[in-house]
Amino acid sequence: MDPAHIRNFSIIAHIDHGKSTLADRMLECTGSVQKRDMTDRVLDDMELEKERGITIKARAVTIFHEKDGERYMLNLIDTPGHVDFNYEVEKSLQACEGAILLVDASQGVEAQTVANAYLAIEANLEIVPVLNKVDLAHSRPDEIAEEIENSIGVDAADAKRVSAKTGQGVPELLDQIITQIPPPKGDPADPLRALIIDAVYDEYRGIIVYLRIVDGTVNERDTIYMMGTEKVFEAVELGRFSPKMLRTKVLHAGEVGYFISNIKSLGDVRVGDTVVLHKGPKVEMLPGYAPPMHMVYADFYPTASGDFEGLREALTTLTLSDSSLAFEPVTSDALGFGFRCGFLGLLHMEIVQQRLEREHDMDMIQTAPTVTYRVRYADGTEQEIHSPGTLPDPDKFEELLEPIARISMMVPTEFVGVVMQMAVEARGEYVRTEYLSQSRVQLFFDVPLAELIYDFYDKLKSGTKGYGTLNYDVTGYRADKLVKLRILVNGKEVDALSSIIHQDVADRRGRNIIQRLRKDIPRHQFEVPLQAAIGGRIIARETIRAMRKDVTAKCYGGDITRKRKLLEKQKKGKRRMRSIGNVDIPQKAFLSVLGEGEKKK
Amino acid sequence: MDHHQPAPEGTPLYVHLPFCVHLCPYCDFFSVDGKGQDVDGFLDTLLLEAEARAPKAPRTVFFGGGTPTYLSEPQLQRLLLGLDELTGFRASAEEVTVECNPESLTLPKAQLMRSLGVDRLSIGVQSLDPETLAFFERPHGPEQALAAVEATRSAGFERFSIDLIHGSPTEELATTERNLLQLLELRPQHVSAYGLTYEPGTPLHARLEREEFVPQDEDQELANLDSVHRLLEDAGLRGYEVSNYSSIGQECLHNVNYWHNGPYVGIGPSAASHAQGTRSGNPRSIPRWRAAKQADPMAAAFEEHLDPRARLGETWWLGLRLAEGVDPEVARTTAGWVAAEDPAVGEAEALVAEGLLELLAGRYRLTPRARPLADHVGRQFLV
Ligand SMILES: Nc1nc2c(ncn2[C@@H]2O[C@H](COP(=O)(O)OP(=O)(O)OP(=O)(O)O)[C@@H](O)[C@H]2O)c(=O)[nH]1
Ligand code: SF4
Ligand SMILES: [Mg+2]
Repeated sequence: MDPAHIRNFSIIAHIDHGKSTLADRMLECTGSVQKRDMTDRVLDDMELEKERGITIKARAVTIFHEKDGERYMLNLIDTPGHVDFNYEVEKSLQACEGAILLVDASQGVEAQTVANAYLAIEANLEIVPVLNKVDLAHSRPDEIAEEIENSIGVDAADAKRVSAKTGQGVPELLDQIITQIPPPKGDPADPLRALIIDAVYDEYRGIIVYLRIVDGTVNERDTIYMMGTEKVFEAVELGRFSPKMLRTKVLHAGEVGYFISNIKSLGDVRVGDTVVLHKGPKVEMLPGYAPPMHMVYADFYPTASGDFEGLREALTTLTLSDSSLAFEPVTSDALGFGFRCGFLGLLHMEIVQQRLEREHDMDMIQTAPTVTYRVRYADGTEQEIHSPGTLPDPDKFEELLEPIARISMMVPTEFVGVVMQMAVEARGEYVRTEYLSQSRVQLFFDVPLAELIYDFYDKLKSGTKGYGTLNYDVTGYRADKLVKLRILVNGKEVDALSSIIHQDVADRRGRNIIQRLRKDIPRHQFEVPLQAAIGGRIIARETIRAMRKDVTAKCYGGDITRKRKLLEKQKKGKRRMRSIGNVDIPQKAFLSVLGEGEKKK
Repeated sequence: MDHHQPAPEGTPLYVHLPFCVHLCPYCDFFSVDGKGQDVDGFLDTLLLEAEARAPKAPRTVFFGGGTPTYLSEPQLQRLLLGLDELTGFRASAEEVTVECNPESLTLPKAQLMRSLGVDRLSIGVQSLDPETLAFFERPHGPEQALAAVEATRSAGFERFSIDLIHGSPTEELATTERNLLQLLELRPQHVSAYGLTYEPGTPLHARLEREEFVPQDEDQELANLDSVHRLLEDAGLRGYEVSNYSSIGQECLHNVNYWHNGPYVGIGPSAASHAQGTRSGNPRSIPRWRAAKQADPMAAAFEEHLDPRARLGETWWLGLRLAEGVDPEVARTTAGWVAAEDPAVGEAEALVAEGLLELLAGRYRLTPRARPLADHVGRQFLV
């Protein structure tokens, strides 16, 4: 299709403001999906997305809409709203000329509304503010339009008012997209340049590569070259998403689609790479994607029954469809060989862990997430510490620095006092306050990232009855009185259980951790002493008593199957643990370093 | 052999009669309050199932429940005569046990059963402490329990067993010991002594979760196990299984077959059957069981097939509950394990090294220290 009749846009918003539901209505009213095939949030096709009701991965789909007797191709990308997946948003925006900034008119502007809007502004996109959920009786579109102007500086007076639930206003919105969002600039006649925006591994067909064609045209049977990985392939099949894969044999400048080439080796494809014609004219490589900023790190180790190479392969496959994940091999004294993984946040970490378990059948132990610390030596050099276990002895370095996040919290005015108090308790430093409207303010604080991870987010949610939202950026490092809390199990230090914490809270946290470990580590045939220590000083201790009674009183003919299954299940549970020394430690014990709130998830 | 073809002659037979006067809050058998139940219709279906599935000339028969003596005399008569007609158990069985509860075990009933081929009664005394019996919501008191034993004797039963439960929060060790000594004065040849268990799904478990009472702690439970074991052994009753004690030769043959991982056929709702690694069971509901059996008496509500490895593990787990322990050779034969290497022996040796098993005359068995850890030991053998 000629670029003048193409529009590429992403739908961006805070979590739950209705992006995926709006995409549903767009698919429906353009006849892309038959009504009988329609399910809620069709684009959320990952099992975890359906289960949790949130979008995790951006999804591109091509729809056609007629305006003034002309047919337009619209490539829309539904993006996730949760902060942990904003790398997906950033990537999606690069494949677009415009963004629909969707705001729930009953909730108003929230932290990720602002954050994502800024991403779109930085990417030079045309922003189309849209007010959603106007079918709700308590929606306040006028007030919210004002909030948009105040917080983002985008004129929202004429913002379309829609209901992604009923479909009200959606056809008009499609018309507006065509008028307001500029067509892509590329020329189908130029030499080919395409951006790899995503990739998934398919057991039968190899890697399916998602493309945005920036310039030129690609046809089936063309031999193509990937500039970054320097690999050559033949485009065996080309097509677009409707939303199912639909073979089209050709893709032109401005279009979004896929190609298949029976690529089996995971290292051959890199998201963000530039695809050109093999032996075609020389062209400049596209800028690609900036590397993701990892906020937290955690280690994965195979369990007693898992295997290291299998875990490596699973992680490699996962990084293909989740390019925000990074990993490298590590060794721990206690846990042996494993992988240190970098995540964009705790939810991201949890999703990765669950995908490894479900999609790749991995059995593993995950250590508690930690931020990246830095040690500064006497000679001025610095070293990054991704895992507390590897922190050198205090007398070896001058200072220990931790990452500081600038957080912005949007809260109803009535909660300002509570939130201030919480931020101060989390060692936060007040920055400033901005008023969004009469009822809502935006508070800025500088808070150690470690505190954010510990339990701040949960506290904010519960302290504001769910109304408070938060966004953060790591802005720098700051030295503080930080110490390493060591944990000894049965007299043996377990590096994977140690953590770096502020000196003032060390005693309390040490006691908490030991108490939680006492509950989480099962009883053994012998006593298991647990200790928390700072340097050589023991600050807390508990003992797990020996298991002395473990017997079924009644076991007759009718009980055998059930009792056997119960014992087998208990035994399986044990296989999912790791033994350190001769103590079996279950997965949840490794997370006991986290705050109560985090552990419950 | 499975549910679909009749079991070979001689296979032990279990008959489940689910009715009770009042449901005990700790009970996790399939039992129902007998009030208003169509017991005669139940017997119709039971005999229908027996006709299709009960083995001929069973070696042992066990009527369990529920409370089999909940049945009236005519009902008991119909059941025993009917079953004998179908299987000939009176001539064939070395042991025919009926479970009974003191409140429904009358002299005439005992005499009737004795005259119709029953030679062993298992009496659910549970405790002689009034407070404990009340906590257990048992409809009988201590006197009734003693009267039931008396009736058993008078009816001419040489073999009977007494069930008791220790570890109730209402009891101290001294109460339990006093109770037990009083029971031993009745000179039973067989005692089943169970530690109270809070099974998920039972009312007592729910009350525990709601913290309505303080359960005994592990130290108390261990003291009970220890003391009960000592008192029974001192009285000449040998602990032949984790919870079962008898004088020599008075072991319950029917139950020993379970721990030998032998075959058996169970009829009645919830009853389980086993033959060569195929375990199956009937529906755990009277209406569902009746409907299923009326449609196809051979039908099973669940069925599982275990491979030789799983059977080997199961054989060891069950066998180690017995004081006689496990002979690896016999276990392999039972399980159909033919491979040269026997994984169970490796496990057993590791447990010997830990002091949890001992090897005596070619048989592995729990050491005294491991008796309260039978599940821990058994788990090592399962897959
Ligand atoms: N009443 C009403 N509910 C809506 C509307 N749009 C979406 N919802 C509901 O809002 C909830 C969130 O909708 P989603 O479409 O999953 O939101 P999202 O923005 O895609 O969420 P994430 O992908 O997790 O960021 C769902 O329960 C929707 O049914 C609307 O216009 N009116
Ligand atoms: S008498 Fe026996 S079967 Fe009946 S409810 Fe009590 S424990 Fe259960
Ligand atoms: Mg969504």
